[in-house]
Amino acid sequence: MRRRNLFIQLGISIALLALLGLLINNLAVNLIRTGLGLGFGWLARPAGFALAESALPFTPSDSYLWALTIGWLNSLKVIVAGLVLATVLGVAAGAARSSGNRLLSSLAGGYVALIRQVPLLLQLLFWYFVAFLGLPAAPMGGLIKLSNQGIQLLGLNLSVEFCAVLVGLTVFTGASIAEIVRGGINAVPRGQWEAFRSLGLAEGLGLRRIVLPQALPAILPALTSQYLNLAKNSTLAIAVGYADLYAVSDTTITQTGRAIEGFLLLLLSFLLLNLLISGGMAAFNSAVLGRLNRSR
Amino acid sequence: MTVAILASDLVKSYTPGLRALDGVSLQVTSGEVLVVMGPSGSGKSTLIRTFNGLETLDSGELDVLGVRLDAAHEERQVRAIRRRVGMVFQQFNLFPHLSILENITLAPIKVQKRSKPDAAARAIALLDQMGIGEQAHKFPAQLSGGQQQRVAIARALALDPEVMLFDEPTSALDPERVKEVLDAMRQLAKRGMTMVVVTHELGFAREVADRVMFMDQGQVVETSDPQTFFTSAREERSRRFLSQMM
Amino acid sequence: MNRWLDRSITLLILALIGWAGWSLLHWLLVGADWSVVTTNLPLYAVGSFPADQRWRPLLWMAVLITLTLLTLVGPKRGWVRRWLPLAWIAMAPLGLWLLAGGLGLLPVGTRSWGGLTLTLLLTGGSGALALPLGILLALGRRSDLPVLRWSSAGYIELMRAVPLIAVLFFGQLLIPLFLPPGLEINRVLRAVVAFALFAAAYIAEDVRGGLQAIPPTQREAAAVLGLSPVQTLQLVVLPQALRIALPSLTNQAVGLLQNTSLMAILGLVELLGISRSLLANPAFIGRYLEVYLWLAAVYWLACTAMALLARHLEFQLDPVRSSR
Ligand SMILES: Nc1ncnc2c1ncn2[C@@H]1O[C@H](COP(=O)(O)OP(=O)(O)OP(=O)(O)O)[C@@H](O)[C@H]1O
Ligand SMILES: [Mg+2]
Repeated sequence: MRRRNLFIQLGISIALLALLGLLINNLAVNLIRTGLGLGFGWLARPAGFALAESALPFTPSDSYLWALTIGWLNSLKVIVAGLVLATVLGVAAGAARSSGNRLLSSLAGGYVALIRQVPLLLQLLFWYFVAFLGLPAAPMGGLIKLSNQGIQLLGLNLSVEFCAVLVGLTVFTGASIAEIVRGGINAVPRGQWEAFRSLGLAEGLGLRRIVLPQALPAILPALTSQYLNLAKNSTLAIAVGYADLYAVSDTTITQTGRAIEGFLLLLLSFLLLNLLISGGMAAFNSAVLGRLNRSR
Repeated sequence: MTVAILASDLVKSYTPGLRALDGVSLQVTSGEVLVVMGPSGSGKSTLIRTFNGLETLDSGELDVLGVRLDAAHEERQVRAIRRRVGMVFQQFNLFPHLSILENITLAPIKVQKRSKPDAAARAIALLDQMGIGEQAHKFPAQLSGGQQQRVAIARALALDPEVMLFDEPTSALDPERVKEVLDAMRQLAKRGMTMVVVTHELGFAREVADRVMFMDQGQVVETSDPQTFFTSAREERSRRFLSQMM
Repeated sequence: MNRWLDRSITLLILALIGWAGWSLLHWLLVGADWSVVTTNLPLYAVGSFPADQRWRPLLWMAVLITLTLLTLVGPKRGWVRRWLPLAWIAMAPLGLWLLAGGLGLLPVGTRSWGGLTLTLLLTGGSGALALPLGILLALGRRSDLPVLRWSSAGYIELMRAVPLIAVLFFGQLLIPLFLPPGLEINRVLRAVVAFALFAAAYIAEDVRGGLQAIPPTQREAAAVLGLSPVQTLQLVVLPQALRIALPSLTNQAVGLLQNTSLMAILGLVELLGISRSLLANPAFIGRYLEVYLWLAAVYWLACTAMALLARHLEFQLDPVRSSR
């Protein structure tokens, strides 16, 4: 029995290796045919394209590597902002859905049902072309200055592309988070609500101090996977011309023809992003759960 | 008299150093009903699960219906034995996605390659025999525990086994449902089926068993006829167990 | 105090909804110019399929709609019911034949495929490939053989870590690099394969969840009856596991339908791609809102129909409920 298993495993390994070998062989043949070869020397060459948006100084004479780094930072910027806003929106909508106010809860329900049945890409295009580019050319508003050139918020200058991606990701992810929060809240026994009400605590305070802390252990893992989804979805930024990691990689690959290397770099940067998010969430998770357990 | 099950010096441990079976030897002859008793964790389930290869042995020799099942048995041998040895579990283990009729005809059609009408006719006959003929087209979740367990017996009988193994078939039932299952088993014994039954039902053991085997800590403490066992058990451990049961 | 707050919030929201509803209605009836949709309905339905052959994709969609209606509100018993599953399975090959041609039909290149037809074909084709692959991956991940377990887990985790657009990009740009020179697969097929490879990883996790929910005693009960491991899997374990996984599989299917819109970025003219090319046309410049609302309605309808079908299937597969 055990010997047979060994043979089967050996067979599978050989088949997998053979498949891999065949693919790599084909790749080598194709690369020789196109005369490209593999290598990363091109990363140091000047990129030759401009980026509309960069957190650190960037000119077309800077290297491809630097361009990709800027793209990565741009991704990080929109992802982190999106995480925060989507969480706020999602928790608010989730709480509204389980609140006693029927209007509020059906409004939140409508939001979730609508948003989840329409593709994110379509929503992003809507926010960009209709909502933000539809703004007047001359700035309006006081504290927040809105125009189709960009948004000014307390001295912070945000491009319309960034805003469109941010709002799109926030609204889309917020709907999923709302469902998770609602599920978590519903899992808290009804007796807990009655308990804080009988103590005379206000609805909002009771929700924040009594119910949500108990719902957290169920909510946090699902939240992590929504955050990872948000990060993956941020790559759709290319559709509205925001210079994120994927958009810069795409331009780089088109210019240099280095599809394989560019793709590998993209994968690596993405794994790094995922690690950052899951690591951060794990730390947060243990901190929160630790505090909850200690306070019990 | 032919020998149905012959076991000598069976040893089995799940965790190193802890023997669930510690040198068990026994013999079951054809047509005999052997009742196995013993405190929780004494190895009763482990023992009868070795009889159809659900558990593998560490050492010892086991012969079931002329087929050797020892430490190095082959998958195919085990499957041959399983068609000839039926088993009924404490938790019924019916297939919830199949109707009662499909539960019973599944193995005859897929394993014995019988025709559908043939298998169905036999299933209905078995259900009638169990007193639940009208339930054939329901699903397990729609039956009571006692009815489900009788379906499980019919399912095992549909393969025309030569030996039937029962692992606490009434322990998961409501007290008022126990009798209907025991009655079905009693009938089976009357018709000469070879049976190994793990049970704590003293009445059933006293009335139906040919022999009672008492186990403790993976070992056979004593094997006697029911008369002797219930009135004047030889071993102190058996007597203490019986006094707790009654 | 609390009640007053509650009431004023309610009033405020009602006022807001009323205002938004009124402006939307006003715009829909007076402000909007729907010619971008009405004059291009054929494009939205079948893409740039040759005019004299349009009946082929239209026929396919008509069959699809008929099947959906029959399934949802058709007769509850009888021969129609019995043949429905088979008819559903035949939909993907039928669609391929009607679109691509051959076997008596005029061949039509994939460049002329488009619109809702292409969206549905991408969804159905990749779903049909991804489901068996996902089931195999799930079984592999739970296998006793370490090599199989590790390679399945590695594949699943890798796929789930990368964005879909990167996988699709891989499909369009890189698959040709890994194939023997001379062998080419067309763009639509490459897209279907890439989608399937991606979706299979997510499906595998859902199926694994279903498999984990089946108690080991079910396998034992099957083994005791002499069923072989393959029979046990096929007749006892998988039917139960898939039924448990069905709600999450439905979400995957809806996600798949929505994600086909990503092919617009890579140049396929499915629903969203068609819209992009229409919006670039000077005749319809600036008609973003009309087009996006129309698209949202179409996607919303398709997703809702899919969810309804799945709910129906769930009900059908529940033995106790459907036997009553
Ligand atoms: N799958 C397993 N893994 C580890 N240990 C096990 C396993 N099955 C049984 N054991 C151990 O083996 C011993 C014998 O168990 P067994 O189930 O055979 O007892 P039993 O007599 O049937 O008890 P009960 O009356 O409670 O059913 C026990 O100590 C038990 O803890
Ligand atoms: Mg037991």
